[in-house]
Parts: sequence; structure tokens; C-alpha cells
Amino acid sequence: MTLVEAHGVGRRVELPDGSRLDILQGVDLVVEEGDRISIVGRSGSGKSTLLNLLGLLDAPTDGELEFQGRDVRRLSSGARDRLRGSEVGFVFQQFNLLPGRTALQNVQTPLLYDRGSGFWQRERLAREMLERVGLGARLEAKPDRLSGGEQQRVAIARALVRKPKLILADEPTGALDLETGAEVMSLIESVADESGAALVTITHDLAIAARSNRHLRLVGGRLEPLDAAPSAPAVPAPGTLASSVDPALDERLTA
Amino acid sequence: MIRALGRAATGAVSTIVEAGEELRIHRGRVLLSLVGVAVAICALATVVAAGSIAEQAMREQQERDGGRPATYQIDLSGMSGPLDPATAAPAWETALARHGIEFAARSAQFMTDVQFADGVVSTSIEAVDPDYGPMRRVQPILGEWFADGDAGRLAPAVIVNENFWERLGSPPLETHPTVQFVGAEPRTGVVVGVVENRGQWDTDPWAYLLFDDAEALMAPSPDPMFGGLYVTYAMWLPEGDAEAIASSVVDALELELAGVDVQVSQYRTDYAAYGDDPFAQLKLVIGGVAAVVLLLGALGLLTIALVTVRTRIREIGIRRSFGATAGRVFFSVLMESVVGTFLAGVVGVGISIALVRSPLAAMALNTDDVQDLPGFPVEAAVVGIGAAVLVGALAGLIPALTAVKVKVIDAIRF
Repeated sequence: MTLVEAHGVGRRVELPDGSRLDILQGVDLVVEEGDRISIVGRSGSGKSTLLNLLGLLDAPTDGELEFQGRDVRRLSSGARDRLRGSEVGFVFQQFNLLPGRTALQNVQTPLLYDRGSGFWQRERLAREMLERVGLGARLEAKPDRLSGGEQQRVAIARALVRKPKLILADEPTGALDLETGAEVMSLIESVADESGAALVTITHDLAIAARSNRHLRLVGGRLEPLDAAPSAPAVPAPGTLASSVDPALDERLTA
Repeated sequence: MIRALGRAATGAVSTIVEAGEELRIHRGRVLLSLVGVAVAICALATVVAAGSIAEQAMREQQERDGGRPATYQIDLSGMSGPLDPATAAPAWETALARHGIEFAARSAQFMTDVQFADGVVSTSIEAVDPDYGPMRRVQPILGEWFADGDAGRLAPAVIVNENFWERLGSPPLETHPTVQFVGAEPRTGVVVGVVENRGQWDTDPWAYLLFDDAEALMAPSPDPMFGGLYVTYAMWLPEGDAEAIASSVVDALELELAGVDVQVSQYRTDYAAYGDDPFAQLKLVIGGVAAVVLLLGALGLLTIALVTVRTRIREIGIRRSFGATAGRVFFSVLMESVVGTFLAGVVGVGISIALVRSPLAAMALNTDDVQDLPGFPVEAAVVGIGAAVLVGALAGLIPALTAVKVKVIDAIRF
């Protein structure tokens, strides 16, 4: 089933001096259920903007963008919010856990916006999800008492607790060490596998990018496919990142 | 249909749950930000309550002077001076009975000699009917006001002022202290009550006697200078029909006194006779002070709420990314403000009640002189809590609108 279909999507912003800046131009992308897509690109290439468009946090200024067959630009703000809540799960680089709330409360947050049985069963569902990511013993811990890896696992549990069809991960391992990053990615992938959700990962990390089955690159706001699939590297030992990445992929990324 | 209703109900419950949880999580900050509101509401409720007590004190004072609304006075005077009380009495009784008037009293003031331990003193006596007490809010500080059974006692009941009582040696009323009226027809009275002096200027002894008992002490012949004894005939009437009843009583008296040299007239004596609310100015001042106090509290709350929303932009963005609609965010921020100020209002009113009931407030407001001391006025509590909720809604509106305008993407990166 097609989740997202983008044809000629562009995103333009007006700068304070009145000039216009095209952040994205002519993006064509189809995301199917179960897809594993990585998008790489330099800083400022439009990666996060694309992720925001895919996650219904923003609307395109050009082109057509459909989510589960519905034209995003025709959806009301409230309908877009509700669709995002039920079908999209975000994992952020900086975790973005709500401060002052326990891990359990953080994971319950998306279920507060569920108008079905999820709201009434939110505590049980959140508890099960935290147990699933290995934090069954840290339910009452607040973010400032959790390590970086634990915080990201709470963020993953929160992103997946409503069983979204599309998981959008924005530099999910950017704030973690290599080993923890690899563990976190394995966790995201296994949970996504279980629910059949598509996973779109934005990353600078070539090792993380190599774990996907579709590889895309953003250059100057344009989305391009990478010609050859890189071989998935093993979890690298600290300090051995360069040798773990396919030299050909590295060359293409930095071209 | 049922499913849609269920979803709507879940949405409503979840909105309230979320707002409640937000309030719980931020309780420390919310409490701090509401200190100003609680103080403002406390001041507001205290000002309203104290104003109500002050108004009651003023009202009672005016009722002592001019009677309770609506008090009408009947004047019975002829060409040769005031009508003789003995002639007037049957007509007065008949007119009162015909109109079913519950409270009515004659009163007259005259001087008589009283024997004190240090000599005979010419003393002012106020001859009154028993209803005079409730009509003019006369309440003894010791003993009791006259009862109907006191009329016709062999030793007339006497209610004296503090000066009189002290001059008697401040005897306990349980010992039935007596008073010697000397004059043409000496009599012995028994002190049954003591009333306060009328003010600091009131330094002479004076006393109340029942009208019928006092007649024997009154001057038997008209005063060569001032004419006969001037008797005041007063009635306390229901406010709505007072004018018509008073006119009808005048007609009845004219009928009863047909052929007697007398002119019957009536006029209203209580403070409410003047139409305008005599307490309007006091209420205006109190209201003005309360409004300024509340405005300051609201400004403080608004400032803190605005600053708080700015610090929570990231959090709002995160919630939006997980499906919170703009309406949910608006309601959550507004609810936080309204529920918070409601609680602050309850606390403020609670403190105000404690303040108004404290001995310090009783001293400041001189509540000892107030007979019908109002309890903490319900309107002060309602105004206080209502104002708190209104302030919460108004002060929460701007931050809530600010929160809704947050761009999700910018907020997450904030």
C-alpha cells in the first residue's frame, strides 16, 4: 500500500529581505508500507524540510503530495494534525522528551490524542511499549535520570506506541555513540518490522544510511537516488567508522 | 453515529485529562504565578466583605436615628399645640388595629427629677412604647429591652444609659436596682436594662420608660413656654405599600378625631426616603479599589503566563508533532490559566474569610456596634471567585493564542 506519494513537490520560503528561497524543488518520492529509506545530504540541503512535509508538519508550496491517497493541501489543519497523530511517528535527534514527565508519561503522550480505545488503555499500552524497548524497569524515571540511549529508546517507544504506518527518524543516532546508535537503529527496525511500518531515516551517518534498502540523496533541494546499494556494515567498533563504510558509497555521498 | 459520539466524548475527556496533567506537572510554577492573583482576590473579597460590614454599620446607625425603612411619623398638632396624649391614644390604637400594623410606637421626651446618691438631678426621660426598641435598633448592653408584660408594673421598668447606671454605682441587674423619681408624684422604678451612651458627647444620665408608665411623671399641665408634651407617633411599614398605608392611617385618625382641634400629617423619616442609594458612594469607592487591585493581579498573571508560554514553545511543538491539534493546545493553555485562577480565587476568598473574622478586623471595623453583623457575604465570595475565573480566562487567552500560532517545525528546533 502506498503511504506517501510526492510529485514535483517544492517548498519555498520568503526571506526577511523579500527574496524567495527554494528549500526543496521538484521532489518525487513514493513511500510504500514496509519501505526502509535513508536520505542523506549535507547540512542545509533540505533534509529536515522534506521530513516535515512527509510527516504533515508542513505543506508544500509546489507540486502534489498525497498521504494515504489524500491530498495534503486539501486537508484542514485539524485533519492533518489527527492524521499525523494516528499514522506518523517521529524520532528526533535530540529525543525531545517532555521534561518533568516520567518515561511512562512521555510514552502516553501520543495516546492522549487517540480518540479510540488507545486513550482509555494508554497506561497499559505505554507500559507494554516501554517493556518492548527494554525499559520495563525505568517506567517512573524522568528524562534527566536516563542516559542518552535510554532517552532515545523512550522516544522510540513514544513514536511507535500508536502503531504508526510511517516512522520518520531525524538523525536518530546523532546524539548517541556508535555502539548505542547501532543498537537504537536495530530496535527501530525490529519494531517497524513487527508493525509493517515504513521507516524513513535522515542521517549524516553512512553506516546508518547503509542499513536501508532504498538510498536517496538531497543536493541543493533536489532528491536524487543513489545508484548502487551499499553493503550493510557490521556494528563498528569505536574509532573504526571509516573502514566500516563502503568506500564507493562514501565517495558518492561526498561528491 | 454512536461511534462518532464516542469519539467526541473521548476527545473531550482526553482534553480535560491532558489539561489536568499539564496543571499537575507545572503546579510549582502555576502556584507561584498565582500568588499575585490569590492576594488580589483576597484583597477584593476582603474589601467587598469589609464594605458590606461598614455599610451595615452605617445602615444601623441611620436606622437608630430615623427608623428602619419604611418608618412614617404622624404629627398630631392643633392650633393650641400638640394634641393631648390621652385624647390621641384611643384614635391611634384604633387606626393601628384597623390597618393591622405590627410595629408602632409613641415616643416623647421630658425632664423629671431623679434621686441619686449625690443629690437630685433633673434627668431626661424618653417615654416609649415597647416596639420602639426593634424599630430604632435599641439594644441594651446589659439586661433586656421592655417586654409587653412590663406595662402596668407597680414599680415601672426603667432602662438607663451607661452614665445613669454608673451614677447608681454600676449595680448588677440581678439585684434589681431601683431608681427614685421625685416630684409631684414620686415613684420607684426598677432598672431592667442598660443602653450605651449615644456618643462621647453624651455625658448626662437619661433613661427610657414605658409610655404608659411615664405619663404619671409627665408635667400635668402644658408648659407655659413650649406648650404641651410633643408625642411622636411612628409606624414601621412594609416598604412596598408604606405610602398608601400611611395616608390611610392619616384618614383614619382624622375620622377618629373629628371635632378635635388637630391637624393630622405624616412624613417618612428613614434614610431610604431620599430615593438615591445613600451607600452608592461607599460602594463606588470599594468597587474602584477592588477593580484596581484585581487589574494589578491580572497584569502580573498575564506577564508570567506569556513568559511561560515562550519557554514552553518546544514542548508545544512536540505535542503538535504527536497529533495535538491547535484547538487542543489552545484549550490546554487556557484551562491551565482558568483552573489555576479558580484555585487561587478559592484560596484568596478563604484567606479573606479568615481575615474578616479575625479579632483585628473586628477592632478595625468596630463590629461590636453592629447588631446584625453580616456573615462573610456570599456576594464577596462569588465576586472573588468569579473575578478570578474571568481574570484567568482573559489572562490565559493571549498566551493560548500565542501557543496556537507556534509553528511546529520552529518549535521543535526552539
